[in-house]
Amino acid sequence: MSLDTVVEINNALIGYSEHTILSEVHLKINKGEFIYLIGKTGAGKSSLIKTLIGELPLIEGEGTVAGFNLRNIKQNKIPFLRRKVSVIFQDFQLLTDRTVHENLAFVLKATGWKKKLDIQERISDVLDKVNLRHKEFKMPHQLSGGEQQRIGIARALLNDPEIILADEPTGNLDPETSEEIMNLLISISRTGRAVIMATHNYGILKKFPFRTIKCEYGKLSEIEDSETVIDFDSLNF
Amino acid sequence: MSKRNTNNSAINTKLRTSFVITIVSISLVLFLLGLEGLIILNANKLSEYVKENLGFTVFLKDDVKEVEMLRLQKYLDAIPEVKSTLFISKDEAAEILIKDLGEDFVSFLGYNPLAASIDVKFHAADATPVTFSKIEKELLGFPQVKEVNYKESLIHLVNEKIYQISIILLVFSLVLFSISIVLINNTIRLMVYSKRFLIKTMKLVGATNNFIRTPFVLKGALNGLLSALVSIVFLTICIYFLRNYLKDFAGNIDIELLGILFLSVILIGMFITSITTFFAVSKYLKLKSDRLYL
Repeated sequence: MSLDTVVEINNALIGYSEHTILSEVHLKINKGEFIYLIGKTGAGKSSLIKTLIGELPLIEGEGTVAGFNLRNIKQNKIPFLRRKVSVIFQDFQLLTDRTVHENLAFVLKATGWKKKLDIQERISDVLDKVNLRHKEFKMPHQLSGGEQQRIGIARALLNDPEIILADEPTGNLDPETSEEIMNLLISISRTGRAVIMATHNYGILKKFPFRTIKCEYGKLSEIEDSETVIDFDSLNF
Repeated sequence: MSKRNTNNSAINTKLRTSFVITIVSISLVLFLLGLEGLIILNANKLSEYVKENLGFTVFLKDDVKEVEMLRLQKYLDAIPEVKSTLFISKDEAAEILIKDLGEDFVSFLGYNPLAASIDVKFHAADATPVTFSKIEKELLGFPQVKEVNYKESLIHLVNEKIYQISIILLVFSLVLFSISIVLINNTIRLMVYSKRFLIKTMKLVGATNNFIRTPFVLKGALNGLLSALVSIVFLTICIYFLRNYLKDFAGNIDIELLGILFLSVILIGMFITSITTFFAVSKYLKLKSDRLYL
């Protein structure tokens, strides 16, 4: 595995013990790459993402994510994997019982930050990146969907992760807000983090073309140039 | 914005209500436990009171000098099982009987037929037939002693009944205690269940299990403390209104015992809530996220 590789999966079988979802999975992702993951609902996109954060074990094959071996990772090491691999969710998944500040502070404290000053500084930092400094003391339900997703992204950035997994991050948002979020994610990938985004939104694929991986019939396949190869009409999602 | 604010306050009211319901249901259970404790403590006192009043009476021969009698009393006082002794002289015994009869039988008879006696009371733990007969035998060996008077069957009966009642109380309190644990466990699980997605999110952002669990457990212990305090207020009100009835049975309620009772309510409350919170949260920490929706 070269220094620039953050994800490397070889010949893996993904699924639950009695039921395979993806087989012969080969995947190699480098620093700073932006990757789309497409496929029908139920094709295994979410399972792949769950595998990358240690929620689903590899049944067969080898896999390394951010230096953690997926095959023999211990339960108590998973929290540490999740500090290197951040997730952004379709439904934002903010802690609804506390303010934006407390949401972010929770993550920092959970990952070993102790000094109040450092925590405040880091929170201001990531909120600046998503332009939401002025919403620091709002409750999640007081924010719009786009704002909540930007907080989700800010949260994902807190610990300088190597990989950001975005599971349909624009699924609940209008086209204009989706575009904002896309620009934000792309700028994040330019700072050297790998961004893997599962999506159904082919408008976005067209507008921001990147390396695209398709989940279909229990396999992953690479689509080299999404503009020419994907026949959007025939995909029939 | 104004609509959001009303929504917000509605949510707050709802949250507050569910918090209050949690506290009240736990405190009601603890109140029942405390009441049970109160009953046990008083039953204990009551049985002690009955047993310590059993005792026996040693009648002394007429020709014994009072010094000898007092020496016997001293001897009895020195026996570890004996709690107290009361010397009643011939004249005192006559006085008591005259009062009871309302008639001066001494002047009627021309002499005092009563014997001097020593009333012996035992410590509750030693008020058993075995001790009684042992000390009776010892006493009958003394030349001063005319006879030893006690009802053997009564002692047997009292000891047997007290034993039966304490077994019933013990079983009853064990049942009540298990019911309390089940009820509190359900309340706590419901509260944690409502936060299962929060727990899942915390896991996904890289928090370790302990980091997630500890605040829940601390909050659980705090809830337990709060509930215990509420139930102690109920208990105090209850004792205040019942004190006159209690006095008839077992005398005044011991402040020290009451303190121990209240302290146990607090400790049991905090212990049950924190332990059940610990297990409830652990359950959701172990669950794979797919199963959260089931």
